Amino acid sequence: MTDTTPVDLTSIQPITICLGTHPAIIQSMLDYAYCVGAENPTVVAIISGGRKQERYFWGEKEISIPVYAQLAAVPAAVRNQVMCLLNVQSARRVLAGMTEALSLLPKLQVATVFAEQVPESHSLQLADMAAESAVLLTGPASVGILIPGILKLGAIGGTEYSQLAAAGIFEAGNTAVISTSGGMVNELIHTVITAGLRVSVAIALGGDRYPLTSPAAAFLMAQADPRTEQIVYFGELGGVDEYAIAELISAAKVTKPVIAYVAGTVAELFAEPPQFGHAKAMASTHNETASAKKDALRAVGVNVLDAFGDLATALKAQRSEESVVSDFRAIGPRRKSLAVSHISGDVNGDVQLLGRDLLAIVEDSSLAGLYISLLLGHAVSSLKLIALTDFILRLLTDHGPYVAGAFNTIVAARAGKDVASSLASGILTIGPRFGGAVNAAAGAWLEGIASGESPKVFVAGYRSNGGIISGIGHKKYRIDMPDPRVKALVKQFSGNANGDSYLKFAQGVEAITTTKKGNLILNVDGAIAAIMLDVLVSELDYNLDQLQELVDIEFFNALFILSRSVGFVAHYLDQRRNDEGLLRLSDDEIAYAP
Amino acid sequence: MPRQKLSEFRAKNIITSTLGLPYIGWTIDGSADVPEQLKNIPEDVSYAVKVDEAIKGRFKRGLVVLNVPLSGLEKAVHNLVDEGFRWLIIEPMSAHEPGDERYISLTSDRSVVTLNYARSGGIDIEANPGDIQHVMLDGQANWQHLADETDLSIDQLQALLSVFQDNFFVFVEINPYLSTSVGPVFLDAAVEVDDAGAFFVDSWSPSDFRRHFERGLSSQEQAVLELAANTPASFNLSVLEPNGSIFLLLSGGGASVVVADEIYNRGYGLQLANYGEYSGNPNAEETFLYTQAVLQLLLLSSASPKVLFIGGAVANFTDIAQTFAGVIRAIEAVGSQLKGQQVKVFVRRGGPNQAVGLQRMEAVLTKYDLLGAVHDPGTPLTEAVREALKRITK
Repeated sequence: MTDTTPVDLTSIQPITICLGTHPAIIQSMLDYAYCVGAENPTVVAIISGGRKQERYFWGEKEISIPVYAQLAAVPAAVRNQVMCLLNVQSARRVLAGMTEALSLLPKLQVATVFAEQVPESHSLQLADMAAESAVLLTGPASVGILIPGILKLGAIGGTEYSQLAAAGIFEAGNTAVISTSGGMVNELIHTVITAGLRVSVAIALGGDRYPLTSPAAAFLMAQADPRTEQIVYFGELGGVDEYAIAELISAAKVTKPVIAYVAGTVAELFAEPPQFGHAKAMASTHNETASAKKDALRAVGVNVLDAFGDLATALKAQRSEESVVSDFRAIGPRRKSLAVSHISGDVNGDVQLLGRDLLAIVEDSSLAGLYISLLLGHAVSSLKLIALTDFILRLLTDHGPYVAGAFNTIVAARAGKDVASSLASGILTIGPRFGGAVNAAAGAWLEGIASGESPKVFVAGYRSNGGIISGIGHKKYRIDMPDPRVKALVKQFSGNANGDSYLKFAQGVEAITTTKKGNLILNVDGAIAAIMLDVLVSELDYNLDQLQELVDIEFFNALFILSRSVGFVAHYLDQRRNDEGLLRLSDDEIAYAP
Repeated sequence: MPRQKLSEFRAKNIITSTLGLPYIGWTIDGSADVPEQLKNIPEDVSYAVKVDEAIKGRFKRGLVVLNVPLSGLEKAVHNLVDEGFRWLIIEPMSAHEPGDERYISLTSDRSVVTLNYARSGGIDIEANPGDIQHVMLDGQANWQHLADETDLSIDQLQALLSVFQDNFFVFVEINPYLSTSVGPVFLDAAVEVDDAGAFFVDSWSPSDFRRHFERGLSSQEQAVLELAANTPASFNLSVLEPNGSIFLLLSGGGASVVVADEIYNRGYGLQLANYGEYSGNPNAEETFLYTQAVLQLLLLSSASPKVLFIGGAVANFTDIAQTFAGVIRAIEAVGSQLKGQQVKVFVRRGGPNQAVGLQRMEAVLTKYDLLGAVHDPGTPLTEAVREALKRITK
């Protein structure tokens, strides 16, 4: 595996995906990218459960980074540009997660695994896969990779902005830092900077016995790196990786000067030493001791330090006269907002809706156009969708005083309650048996189309579950006496680019249910739902996930509530204008049945 | 500690069941009701009673008792338990000549599993390493030859390789085994596993791990083991010299070894009282418990003068103020006792929130007159160690 061509570090674009989430590390990676002048946020997606997005800062500005439950759910256009990956999953998920990542991220160049306790056999499998894909993959238990001026992948270099700002790691120098220890990689960087030098690349290999990138592979990478002129290495007792380094040097495959410290000579004081340091840091044979490995490196000309403190002296000896001045885009004070709105807000004191000045959008929008844009969260220009919205809003405004919500509004109004209370009393009646049918019908049609079932199978499924199908059935209208509102909707708004697949499915369901009972027709709620779905697909290109989201967040109920609120308020005003007294039922209106 | 030794009982059960061989043996927990555990053992043969705590050279140390009749088992068990051992294994004796003993083991490295075998096994194998043949089990392995040499069948050898690979073994040694007319008989076996595999196997679990501590575990070490078992952060603590004068409270697997090295290199190795480290961003409660354990050890040491070195590298993500909050609370709790013993504390640490953490640390050390020095990363780690060592006489 040491024969594969090392990754060209300076050609990496820091477009990064995170498997798992670790807010402090992710924020520090964004801060680093911002400070070195990246134009756009470099973390493009997070794979994690629970939420749809996480909030971070890009400089001083707050941004949302999309979160997906699965890597496969990330749009291909995003996946295809990702070159870097941070894995902060738990150890038990690392093998599966990285296997998937290597197959789904064609441009992946650099990745790092943060978890400790990844089984050695999993590491070995992963190392082979990474070598095949020519991906530089560090870990397990790695704090990451730093390529100054280009990329900070992982916690390496620090997680606090003030730490990064003071660390001197924004500009590249000539010294590569390779360390098996995460804490020591930062100490080494610090020592290099304090000596007046700068880092060309820093890489934390992790303290496992079989690191995914072996020290030898890291040395070849540093040898190939055009910015690197010398290598500083921190190793530990245990394992035999240092012999592979010595071989590379004696075979002149690594020719850049090397300064090395191999920790753990202290273990030689004990007949049965305790576990010093990391997982691998236990010498089971003499050649795994720190002394033996130091001798091997010394024999091929490496400047092997006996005391770690001598590193500063060794580095200062070659310090260049010209000192590097840190120059980076600084980040000022910032505070997380309490909430984020994506549809409106103040800009310089003026209200904006959907990114436009309030008055400007008001002047060139119809009422329905403005409403549907706000409800969907983006500007809608489809005239057909606007016309449909307009029709639906008008159609649903009032269906008479008898329905449960309107009647409750009337009862409240006659009890002397105010407009807000009376309206609320009506709205709070909306639910599974009153007014909720449009949303439920949309969910049913969507389920039918997504499952790929025929209407017949679909109906059979509902029947066996004992359910009634929302959007089907009417008190008065029958198959031989169709609902004129449904007729009007179909006439005006069918003929969509998707072949009216939702409407046809709904009508297919109707064809089956009406053979059972003549009034089990497609009702106005079911028709609104089906046609709205067809129009969203045809006019706005909505996919199944987006439509399902609209059902889940009750977009279709929102249409009903919005329209019917006008009707409720009208009933309130009607009652108050005519000053009807308190409505009280008489005992023959409610039977007593103890 | 990713590499753990399995009990011999568990190791033999896994190996023999995969190889399709019979196994008879009983595991005995000396801390539980011994007669109860012995009552199912039949009378027909005599038995070997062995300590099952992953100790090397058991035979030479007298931790194996041979030819015990059923009536003598209880006494044999009690004798070993009285010597401080808890886990024992009892197996029927297999009569044989010393010359019949064979050796076989599997080891692995990054690329391949190696089979090691010798026709002359037994307790002296380590004295004659030249007798052991090493064969890499890659595509070129001549299985027939190995079968001839080891008297195990090709199927058994390949089953041994798969039991190794499928159970997250990193080392297996069967020494000795006997080649008999009814197949191999494994007398002693030792297995090390990669404990990170625990989630993925059913054949063993952490309750099968065995460790032996020559001087026993102090209650402080025991407390840290328990702490480590219940947190995603990492903690370990080993007492090296109970009456040492240099106590360490270190962070990070790499930096902690650098500090210990520095002490050893300067010739103070024998005064080093403990080694250990915490890492992985523990919370303040956890660092409190850890520090408490270290400080208890420090107060118990008869050395004078004594120093405590609190240190680590420049942390990447561990919050210094948070981790130090627990350390400070533990120092506060025994501040006047530490002062009474004229302990001096030297600190060097960097990382997120270092300014706040170091400042609070300096304040508490000053309050109890414990202040040696408090340094940020402006002072190299090893220089801070040297400063602390100046207070100690070699």
